[in-house]
Amino acid sequence: MSRAGVEEFAYDDSPSAVSVLSSAIFAHPRGWEHERLVAGNAVVEHPARPRRTPRRSVIVVLGDNHVVSADLVTKRLPSDGDNEEVDVIVACAGQPKNLGSLQRRVRDLQVLLAPAGTSTEDLRELAMQRAPGDIVTLLSGSLAELENG
Amino acid sequence: MSETLPLSVVVSARDSGSTLREALVAIRASRLPRDSYEIIVVDDASSDGSVAIAARYADTVVKLTGRLCGPAYARNRGVELARGQIVAFVDGDVVVRSDTLSRMLATFGDRPDIAAVSASHDEQSGSINFVSRYWNVLLRFGEERHAGDRAHFVPGCGMVRRQVFLAAGMYDEWRFPTGCLESAELGDRLRNTGHGVLLSSELKVAHLKRWNLVSVCREVWRRSRILARSLGYQRMSATVPSEVVFSLTRTLTPAVALLGTLSLAAAFVPPPQGVAKGGIVLAVLILSNLSVHRFYARTCGLAFAVASAPLHLFAQTVAAVALCTGWILRDVLGDATPDATTQAYSEVGLETWPPVRRRV
Repeated sequence: MSRAGVEEFAYDDSPSAVSVLSSAIFAHPRGWEHERLVAGNAVVEHPARPRRTPRRSVIVVLGDNHVVSADLVTKRLPSDGDNEEVDVIVACAGQPKNLGSLQRRVRDLQVLLAPAGTSTEDLRELAMQRAPGDIVTLLSGSLAELENG
Repeated sequence: MSETLPLSVVVSARDSGSTLREALVAIRASRLPRDSYEIIVVDDASSDGSVAIAARYADTVVKLTGRLCGPAYARNRGVELARGQIVAFVDGDVVVRSDTLSRMLATFGDRPDIAAVSASHDEQSGSINFVSRYWNVLLRFGEERHAGDRAHFVPGCGMVRRQVFLAAGMYDEWRFPTGCLESAELGDRLRNTGHGVLLSSELKVAHLKRWNLVSVCREVWRRSRILARSLGYQRMSATVPSEVVFSLTRTLTPAVALLGTLSLAAAFVPPPQGVAKGGIVLAVLILSNLSVHRFYARTCGLAFAVASAPLHLFAQTVAAVALCTGWILRDVLGDATPDATTQAYSEVGLETWPPVRRRV
């Protein structure tokens, strides 16, 4: 388990919101389990009830200085014709980069922030705790330099 | 979503927290390009944090909720999501070697006639307590004697062509709600449709599950009972001779016959005959299981072979009683079926998650 604190919030595309939230998170001494910041839309809770189809979640793990292509994520989402609900959770170590395009393409994107240096395995485990899906797909980002180069 | 891969590794886990990490790390350490395979962990309603461990190493995690679904059901759910042309089934307590998956995968390229490949038990590794060692070596004994390309499909670590698996009707989740003989039955179906099922004695994997006297007896009981009730001893004996039930019972029948004859003969021997009778009985039992004991002596040493002989005799007795119980249940109740609710849901075709068990 990560030593780090992690906060969950519905993604707000403005950089200032991310900075404010990150500052609040890292300043908080007791970590994610005691503080829950919500910006923009409220986080939707999904009570357990019988379902006809499995609920799906996609977790995108971004370690330090990693980015993810929006295409990679949307490839793993059902097409518009499939009337299927998918939760997308981005777990980041440090400040997330280039999430704008992903946020524009994914409605209700959730972002978990952890301090820089948090391992990808810890990020995966933390995100899994928040993923409500019966089927959870885990994707990893790639180094920012490689992505840009 | 439809992008294909050479290999999907489906790991079924049920309260495997103590071994799952090692199993998944070993898979990820395989000598295969990481982008050539995916790891799908199907968690069978664990309560020990297996999901959290799976999340650290897997590409996809399927969370089954509610009551125990069993490995046959869990593996089928994994295959439904798999993108690989070949699907590997690895149990949550099995540790593969770095070249196991690549060598198994290469077999499919070299042998188009083979539809499924299994690795066998590594008798030198895994859990090291006495009963675990006894059990792993017993399984190894059967696998080594009956390895080949018309063999047993072994559940711990096996690979199958995905299309062949789907065409065969997948695992029989209807009759196998708990982990027991479902792979033997699948292998039997694959062979009956003309496909080769290869069991390699050179490909070895370590089984970390820790056995004790009670769990071994329970496993022998379940395997023997299900085999007698649902699969049929004679048919499976001919097609899956490496199954542990046959390793235990094939030698028991002649041993019992010999013991009966000798006991009758001993009635005519003048007293004192107690020690002589005991000696004769012991000699017959050892001779009837000589091949097993020699295998234990060769792999684990003479002392282990001697020490395991009473346990082997006890396991044989359990197997014999369970086989009889299975035959009686088959005559009285018929083949094993799920509970009435599951049957009713299946009948009306109810669509739900997790899905209702399917008939093959």
